Amino acid sequence: MDYRFHLAKRMLVNKRGSLIGAVLAVSIGILVINVNFVIFQGIYDAIIRDMSEYRFGDIYVYDEEKSTIEKSDTVLINWFERIPGVEAATPRLEASATAETRILGQQHEKFNVPVLGVDPISDIRTSTIHETVGDGQYVYARNSIVVGESVASDLGGCSRGGFFMSSGTDPTVTGDVDIGECQPVRVGDSVKLTITDQWGIDQKKRFVVTGISGTAGGQGFDRSVIIHIDTLRDMLDRSGESGSIMVRLQESASPYDAKQIKNQFLQAFPNDNLRAETIEESAESTLAGFRSGIAMINLIGYFGMGSSAFAILTIQMMLVNSKTREIGIMRAIGARRKDILIIFIMQGMIIGAMGAGAGTALGLGYTTYAKITNMEFGGSLALEVNYNWQKIGETAFIAFILAMIASIYPSYRATKKQPVEAMRAV
Amino acid sequence: MTKIYGEAETKVRALDNVSFSVKKGEFVLVIGSSGSGKSTLLNMIGLLDKPTEGKVLVDGFDTSNLTDNEISTFRNKKLGFVFQFANLLADLTVLENVLLPSQIQFDSSTGDKAKEILEKVGLKDQLFKRANKISGGQAQRAAIARGLVNNPTIVLADEPTGNLDSVTAKNVIEVMKKMAKDLGQTFIVVTHERAQFGDVDRIITIKDGRAFEGEYSPELEVVA
Repeated sequence: MDYRFHLAKRMLVNKRGSLIGAVLAVSIGILVINVNFVIFQGIYDAIIRDMSEYRFGDIYVYDEEKSTIEKSDTVLINWFERIPGVEAATPRLEASATAETRILGQQHEKFNVPVLGVDPISDIRTSTIHETVGDGQYVYARNSIVVGESVASDLGGCSRGGFFMSSGTDPTVTGDVDIGECQPVRVGDSVKLTITDQWGIDQKKRFVVTGISGTAGGQGFDRSVIIHIDTLRDMLDRSGESGSIMVRLQESASPYDAKQIKNQFLQAFPNDNLRAETIEESAESTLAGFRSGIAMINLIGYFGMGSSAFAILTIQMMLVNSKTREIGIMRAIGARRKDILIIFIMQGMIIGAMGAGAGTALGLGYTTYAKITNMEFGGSLALEVNYNWQKIGETAFIAFILAMIASIYPSYRATKKQPVEAMRAV
Repeated sequence: MTKIYGEAETKVRALDNVSFSVKKGEFVLVIGSSGSGKSTLLNMIGLLDKPTEGKVLVDGFDTSNLTDNEISTFRNKKLGFVFQFANLLADLTVLENVLLPSQIQFDSSTGDKAKEILEKVGLKDQLFKRANKISGGQAQRAAIARGLVNNPTIVLADEPTGNLDSVTAKNVIEVMKKMAKDLGQTFIVVTHERAQFGDVDRIITIKDGRAFEGEYSPELEVVA
């Protein structure tokens, strides 16, 4: 073993307090970055996950020019389901309605309720919205309706603010409802929807509430109602039409596969004004701002690591000063300035390696804990936690390099000491 | 050699035209009172400092034009040092301290020689003890062994007994003399305790920066 490495190691071991402090500085810097990554990247990935599973799937198809796809959804779905790597596809149709119900003798109306029409059979193979129905069951009949939690609460007169009308008062003024008497819509209640069809004529229909849907994080349909797509088509007088096609790929498919299949589809239907997007493209507008936030948070994490480097620099300066006499002795018996420089840079490398190892272990521990416990914050959506080995490796490497760089100035100062003066140090 | 510190009004002549030569195998004592310039002289010979005028020749080699790296290498190979406070590295064992000068040159062949020298100086049982766990006398003997391991041309000792009690000091001096005799080693020892050293091959007195052969007397200055 090079005597310089041996001496660097021995000097550090004999100054355990400084060594522990320096290693802690590096490892905490890494831990902060890992925690940031788990939380904020986890939230980002969870949003993508939920948007993919509830709204857009892995590939989302819609008409570029019109509000609905006139081409038969059966043709499009059959095309997709023939492609290896595709799990399922389903049509969806969206509209806006006024919902009203009578609870405890009081009539409640809610304007501008988003309505989602689904094919119950293919939808449960393509999305996981049916799993968000905590009370009751998913849409199964032409007259069944699943009500989002927020809508259920509003229709029961349990919320303040927003557009709702109670007992015939002005819809622009919020009612002064005694929350103690309110009763959210429940399974079995009756809800009447009024939808304006494509000709401008109001179509009314009464539904039976079969389920209440709620999701953490709000990426589901908490503020919407869900009915059978054929019922919605009849009410809109848009027989056979769909607003969009949602496609789910198999678990093993990658984002590259999604792009490939999307491009294949567009080549197969070039003249139908159809647009297909992967989840990243569909969610772009929602995620763009969030991505900037994550980048800023990561930057703060790296600033923290930079602070750790200053801590190491300070500790290394202390170590150099405490070894002034030894430096003088070594120079007197023939060590060159380069040898002194190498000894203290090696100390920095040892600190960096130990800190990177400890920090990475702590970070992996936190990541594993978050993954096992399906970590969430305050009832929000559960984080999508993954081991990003590239980021883990990069963070450890940067920490190691920073520790080495932080050792350069103290090492340089060590070489400047003249042997005779240095040996006089106490 | 001449060594001047400071400038103008603060100028101090630490050494004033000092010139002498030392033969191989000589045990030379450099004596003088505190502040006389003894340690400055040793620093010049040991290439730890540069003279203002003059030069140092070791084995006939002029050291005045060496670069910093060359001086380090020269010190390592040609000179051995014994300091007043032993100045062992506390983080290393006794054996590791003695091996250090050869390890600096990445020479791994001196292991047996180091153990042999340590045995000769009476530290056979202390090889693996941490340097800060041995007594002052033991540390000084280890420092002597370190100074000898590379087979230097000269061993320079600066007040080697200055920090020791009289019994230990006597012991260390005996070791040095024994090494000089057994190995034919040249020693230049700076001290202000002339009496401790007894008979030596040669004495040089430094007074007020000037060198005088033998022990100092006012008549020497008149002759000079």
